Amino acid sequence: MSQPVTPRRATRSSVADPASPTSPSGSRPKSTPRRQPVPTAAAKEEEGEHERSTIDVLLEALPGRRAQATDLLRLLAPAPALPLLLHGGATTGKTRALLLALRHVRPRPLRVAYAALRSLPSPRALFASLLTQLSPPSSSSASSRLRIPDKPSDFVAALRDALAGLSAQGEAVYLVFDNLEVVRSWDKGGQLLALLLRLYDLLWFPQVVLVYVSSATPDAYYSMTGSIEPNHIYFPDYTVDEVRDILMRGHPNPKLYSSFLSVALKPLFRVTRRVDELVAALEPLFRRYCEPLGDLKAVPDESIKRRLFEHIQPHLAVALNETFSVPTRTSVDECKDRSSGGKARSKSQFGSGDGLPTELEFHMSVSAKYLLLSAFLASRNPATLDAALFDSTGGSDNHRRKRKSSQASMNMKDTMAEEMLLKGPGTFPLERLLAIFQCITSVSEDYLGDVECPDSMMNGNGMTGLMSDVLLQLSTLCNSNFLSKSGSCPLEGSARYRSNIDEDLALKVARSVGFPLSKYIYRR
Amino acid sequence: MVAAVSVPSQAQTVLRGRLCDPAFVHSALRSSPDTNYSKLKYLVASSVSEACNNSVLLLGPRGCGKAAVVDMVLDDLRKEHPDAISVIRLNGMLHNDDNCAMKEIARQLCLEHQLSFSKMASSDDNTEFMIDMLQECGLAHKTILFVLEEFDLFAQGKQRLLYSLLDAMQSLTSQAVVIGVSCRLDADQLLEKRVRSRFSHRKLLFISPSLDDIQWLVEHLLILAKDSGLPANFRAVSYMDMESGFPSIESFLKALSSMQRQPKMDSLQDLSILELYILVCMHRLEDKEQSSYNFTSIMKEYRSIQDAYKTSDKYASTVCFRAFEHLLDRELISFGDNRGRNQALEYRPVKLLISSRELAQSLKLNTTCPVVLQKLFDRERYM
Repeated sequence: MSQPVTPRRATRSSVADPASPTSPSGSRPKSTPRRQPVPTAAAKEEEGEHERSTIDVLLEALPGRRAQATDLLRLLAPAPALPLLLHGGATTGKTRALLLALRHVRPRPLRVAYAALRSLPSPRALFASLLTQLSPPSSSSASSRLRIPDKPSDFVAALRDALAGLSAQGEAVYLVFDNLEVVRSWDKGGQLLALLLRLYDLLWFPQVVLVYVSSATPDAYYSMTGSIEPNHIYFPDYTVDEVRDILMRGHPNPKLYSSFLSVALKPLFRVTRRVDELVAALEPLFRRYCEPLGDLKAVPDESIKRRLFEHIQPHLAVALNETFSVPTRTSVDECKDRSSGGKARSKSQFGSGDGLPTELEFHMSVSAKYLLLSAFLASRNPATLDAALFDSTGGSDNHRRKRKSSQASMNMKDTMAEEMLLKGPGTFPLERLLAIFQCITSVSEDYLGDVECPDSMMNGNGMTGLMSDVLLQLSTLCNSNFLSKSGSCPLEGSARYRSNIDEDLALKVARSVGFPLSKYIYRR
Repeated sequence: MVAAVSVPSQAQTVLRGRLCDPAFVHSALRSSPDTNYSKLKYLVASSVSEACNNSVLLLGPRGCGKAAVVDMVLDDLRKEHPDAISVIRLNGMLHNDDNCAMKEIARQLCLEHQLSFSKMASSDDNTEFMIDMLQECGLAHKTILFVLEEFDLFAQGKQRLLYSLLDAMQSLTSQAVVIGVSCRLDADQLLEKRVRSRFSHRKLLFISPSLDDIQWLVEHLLILAKDSGLPANFRAVSYMDMESGFPSIESFLKALSSMQRQPKMDSLQDLSILELYILVCMHRLEDKEQSSYNFTSIMKEYRSIQDAYKTSDKYASTVCFRAFEHLLDRELISFGDNRGRNQALEYRPVKLLISSRELAQSLKLNTTCPVVLQKLFDRERYM
């Protein structure tokens, strides 16, 4: 069964490098050393046509971005130009649009220096990256001579020197700062951000054009000192139709895919509008959609469409409630048995609840599961309840008498429930955890005794087998972030822990060992 | 003559160049008397010719032409007294460390007077060097002009640089003028007592140009075009219609609308339905006067809404959490504590960063918004 083809997403470096499409991804956009010949009067019409076709080429590559592309082309060239700020949400195509526009802008820029701030760890790395990109190519072998400045003042001076060395003919040099919002979280980021935004004033260089790309809105960059406000271009998120156009591009079977999208896209669009998440969710769904069809190239008619729709309906409901779909072993086996047994099995997977998977998706040892459950109970229940819940027989109290609670105690229970919701899980010392663990496992000893286990440790003395590596399991759970260590108690100085799992996961774990968790959870 | 490029594009290039160059924009002020330009020129010229020390502050909001005026004055003085002036320029943003500033002063002095500059010199050496140079230049009747941009940033910390500079000017033989440029109108209040006593309290205030001035400025800039005096900006010129060769009214209006966007409203339009649900739930919680709430309380509210109205938008907790994280990325909500305890994200208190009016407006503008959401938002006001 062949995979449906999704349009290839061009990475930034492959788009940005016009010279060699197979250049390594670590390189930044290179310069275009060819210069355009001076157009004569006879070539004026050609130039007009050329400009129109430039825009068309650009719009072809950037669906749904007509206004932004024309804005970009007009504001970027010719130099001199005021600084430019592109802002919009994530995956709205800002960087791609900018780099494509820089390839098509006329006159051709002399050099484009691109600083991807998200992958640079410190200001010094940023300075190094920009200066190496701006240094003339002949001295690349002698790059050891380039001293990377530490201080911003040295950097501005070095930048001025590099730019003076480059642009003698008055051609434009573009400096692109991508993901500007990460600078705010750097050490001394505020100063560096103010410097970057005022670089236009500090450089005194009319031929340099500064372009900033940011996911944060421009109000994040207003500072008390103020600066020349850059021109803004806003990239809104794509609408449903635009997303449909993007997804349909280059698909081998457009009719089939469009019938699939008409079913699946709108519900998913209500949950999230980001194209990357939609693509990740739509791919496995499309595979399922095509399962009843024998031939992927078929053009569906109405009856087939209806059949496929009924087939995909339950899967769609599941997909709406998932964020990641990790193919587990059970689902893979299920795929294999699809031809033979099919419907009954799928029903058992979607049976309980409202379509949520009820199986635990990963494997844990039995002692770890019990430890996790005891941690959950210790975090969830107040310590005063332990004596009532876990009496000496280890059984849950089925004889809890319901006393008539007065209004005041009901209010207190309400506030306690609210507080629990607000503050999150409570902390507990290690001794309490071990005590609860011992109680729980003594209850389930009878169940364990019935289980056929080839492991020699797990017979008769099942208890000691479980207890021996409890501390090891504890550290494993801490490392996997199921438990976390919080500050130590000020009075006693012993370490306190906190459980991080939510009730759904705890119930799944309890179900997998057959432990009646709900009887022990404190509810108001 | 071969026309290399078409006339409109030539015109556009010229206009863009003019708009980008602050010196050209403010050079129109040269002609009129009794402006800050003439006052500053008089001050500096007199201190150069009379061989005395002086200091002055230029204060005014951004974009009023303070740096341009300084540049113009310096250009004029260089033409009139070519040998009697040397200029040292410092910027508070770059050189806010005193040692760094001293080094920069020493470097520029060396550059001006063709001396070799040693990078290993310590800060004290640099200070001594500066004082010696001031004396020497004073004896040779050469005035050193210090231009300190972002003056208020120099006034942070211990103000060692300012003190040593102004103190050195007190000696008889030195001839120096300190010109400070700042956008904070109270920059002189930031000075320490000992520094302020050595500072001659001359201030030149720059104000934003009035409407008449702007109109006159625009005509001065756009001498090629005929327009009706709307404020010129770079964007409008860029949108200039290439065929007709004139910036039209449409291009100005378009530029104005793109400059007046409200970014938060734009972000609100881009949200998915689930994200809008979360915002409305947060708004309801705030209306119920809950002082602090976190993701779990939002989920509780969301579930109660779903149970009450039985909409089709009931989603699992993980999906809602992903939508919550998207809202955090867009900076429409944020955490209330500043890295408080090491808590899971679901339990940290959050708050809304948009007002209820903006939320109401965005719900109205959103075409795909379900009616029940609008009802929920309105009804809470009457509950």
